[in-house]
Amino acid sequence: MRFDWDQLIRYSPDLLQAFGVTILISALSLLIGIVIGMFACLGKLQQRGLAFRLANGFIDFFRTIPEVVLIFWVYSCLPLLLSVRISSEACGVIALSLFSAAYLAEIFRAGILAVPKGQVDAAKALAIPRYHIWKRIIIPPAIRRMMPAFINFLTELLKATSLLSAIAVGEMAYTASILGAQTLSYFEFLSAIAVLYFVLIFPFSLMARRAERKLLKKTGH
Amino acid sequence: MSKYSFPVIVALVLGVVAYFLNWELLLSLDFSVVWEYRVVLLKGLMVTLALTACAAVAGLVCGTMLAIASQTNFAPLRWLVIAFVEIWRNTPLLVQLIWIHFALPLVTGINTTALESGVIGITLQAAAYFTEIVRAGIESVPKGQWEAAYSLALPARIRWTRVILPPAIRTMIPPLVNLTISFFKGTAILSILHVSELMTVTNRISNVTFKPVELFSAIALIYFVVGIVMSKATLRLEYVLQNRER
Repeated sequence: MRFDWDQLIRYSPDLLQAFGVTILISALSLLIGIVIGMFACLGKLQQRGLAFRLANGFIDFFRTIPEVVLIFWVYSCLPLLLSVRISSEACGVIALSLFSAAYLAEIFRAGILAVPKGQVDAAKALAIPRYHIWKRIIIPPAIRRMMPAFINFLTELLKATSLLSAIAVGEMAYTASILGAQTLSYFEFLSAIAVLYFVLIFPFSLMARRAERKLLKKTGH
Repeated sequence: MSKYSFPVIVALVLGVVAYFLNWELLLSLDFSVVWEYRVVLLKGLMVTLALTACAAVAGLVCGTMLAIASQTNFAPLRWLVIAFVEIWRNTPLLVQLIWIHFALPLVTGINTTALESGVIGITLQAAAYFTEIVRAGIESVPKGQWEAAYSLALPARIRWTRVILPPAIRTMIPPLVNLTISFFKGTAILSILHVSELMTVTNRISNVTFKPVELFSAIALIYFVVGIVMSKATLRLEYVLQNRER
């Protein structure tokens, strides 16, 4: 078997465009996920009451069901239930946003809970306003502490976008299978996107590991 | 934020959702289709669980061997293990599966069935993830314990079975179980190869009966219940292990 570079070069614009779609969908889902995740995190931090139960249920549910099931549910049930047309790209973004919101909520919560309680108590004893406690005392160290998990989640999200090929979103995995079927050079295209995914995801993995090491050095445990 | 702002927000969101919902469809939902196909769905769930078990066991065996290989002094072998682990951890399972199923046979000339490709793919990925965890577990054993074992001149077998492995396994168990849960979720990805696990089965039934809402909601619930039972059991296990240590 010969590796057919010509096919790859001829269709490289399509692959690059699909690469862009993958990044765009990840970025959008991450943004929406951060917003919803923050609310869910605040709800779960209440520890009791209606807000806690809702947030807890939301987080547990979307963390436990497989991403594929979630994507298919949004794609085939949501348009029926709301009787509107939703493009497959929008379905993908909705599903991945819910997925990221649930995971990010837990990551945020872990970061906030890792802030030493004594610092918050000290701030309260000094009668610092609540807004300033959050802005100056809780959020900065919490962000530092959640960074490794956050970047790790980013790699998970990038991997999860490949699942959108099941609902015909034109991202990398889908484009590669379509091009492979058209030109019958499956090996070339599938290997190419495997490399592209690796190039995209590996730097984040390295970054997450570095952040973890830095944090270990700083907090010393 | 006042005490009442949260219930007000929830009520608003629910109101908007209720306004846009297609009540006609919602009231005509007929979940008897789930009960009608219960045997097929149950079989699908069994295949899902079998695939999970397969990934966990085969992954753990391969992962432990690779972790031990990564501790050797022979550098090329170490690099090989690292390359394997990084490649399989940093590409999506879906891409690995279609690569194994569609691209690999063009090179090797051996055609694999969908189930074989699926099992190979998920096992290899499990092996890569398990390698990392086993390696971290072994490395988490304090250096002093290694040195103590060496200075007491304990034989290698005793050193591993009595000194290194017990604390290593204790730290390894929670991440191992968590990983198994994530492979339980991962088996749904095998549906792109149609390996007749729960997700594939549901897709097929939904294509015949035209009742996607009932079916997909039902299997989301099935996945949720099985998954949450597993993760609650993990938490319990973690708690028990922590208390035994003290």
